[in-house]
Amino acid sequence: MIRTEDVALYRALDAKAKAGRPCALATVVATRGSTPRKVGAKMLVDPDDGLVGTVGGGCGEGEVLEAADEVLRTGIPQMVRIDLTKDFLSWDPAVCGGTMDVFVEAIRTRAEDG
Amino acid sequence: MTATYLDAPAATELILSAVEAGEAVAVLVLMPPSAEAGGRIVIRQAPDGTLARVGGSGDDILDSALQDLARNAMDGADNAREGLHSLGTDDDPGVRFFLEIHRPQPELVIVGAGHIAQPLCSVGALLGFRVRVLDDRPEFATRERFPEAKEVVRIDMADPFGQVSLTPETHVVLVTRGHKYDYACLRQLLSRDDDVRYIGMIGSRRRVRAAFTQLIEEGFDRERIAKIRAPVGLDLRAETPAEIAVAVAAEIVLLWRGGSAQPLAAQERILPRFFKAAEGVKASDTD
Repeated sequence: MIRTEDVALYRALDAKAKAGRPCALATVVATRGSTPRKVGAKMLVDPDDGLVGTVGGGCGEGEVLEAADEVLRTGIPQMVRIDLTKDFLSWDPAVCGGTMDVFVEAIRTRAEDG
Repeated sequence: MTATYLDAPAATELILSAVEAGEAVAVLVLMPPSAEAGGRIVIRQAPDGTLARVGGSGDDILDSALQDLARNAMDGADNAREGLHSLGTDDDPGVRFFLEIHRPQPELVIVGAGHIAQPLCSVGALLGFRVRVLDDRPEFATRERFPEAKEVVRIDMADPFGQVSLTPETHVVLVTRGHKYDYACLRQLLSRDDDVRYIGMIGSRRRVRAAFTQLIEEGFDRERIAKIRAPVGLDLRAETPAEIAVAVAAEIVLLWRGGSAQPLAAQERILPRFFKAAEGVKASDTD
């Protein structure tokens, strides 16, 4: 309730940065309508070691993972709009009813600094 | 002046140290299309209210606007919610920041280390509370009985909070073994200068009425008495200790989040509305 998940995610980010593991951070920065996660929800993407946290639990997470992949290659952050307003009877998972803007950025590792 | 934005790992270290020190912290993340998108400014708020900023945009006017935004957000102002904020003038749309706030971990103090305290400690820890359990009986106030508690404290029931620090962010639940102990706790809580955030006391209707009567007779402030939640918890017809713990925890979340405590199904009435709409269509068909 008090975003202990944030603390857990930041601890993971801190550990990965110090260990020199390149990873990407996705943050929900804006929502409209009904969305699975609220503003501030985060997901840390480590290509070799999986995910910490979630920005959608299946809903739109694929698009965020694609963006994370690209951001890790280019180093340029992206704003991704996730549209969850698909028609219910399409049986697409993205039927929550809203849209989310997700900021996706590469995390600089401490190894790169030194 | 050049910008001195922090990168995410540097900001993260500051956030974690603020959280550990029990300080509120605001984080401002520069958004695209700015060239330095992802750059961060971290503003910590000490318990006395003073702000300390690390990182900056290089523009004094913008930095002071960001500091105001962070201050308002930490004060809970409506125009400074978490999310996107554009800072600029009509001529220059300016830059966009994502604002996020982290508050100190709230506290749950459970007085009475009996059978309800155990599941309440677990649920409280699960919800992210820093939980302390107090009791005078050494065989109950043990770490083994409360593995998720931050602290298990042996207290003197004649002076229950004498050695225990309480803050305006503390939630206190009284589940002692006897109403005279619960009452001693209430007296001490209401005698403090500051209110704690939440006081809940378990008890039968009779016990609760007796406690309230006594507090009023002793001349305690009625407004403060009225904030005591007794009997504690939502009406779930809870019977077992675990069910009671859930009912108590649900009340605390309710006050924290400002919910209605109604079942969402009853509130949204999606199916009844659907049937009503369908009937309306049928009725107009026959017209």
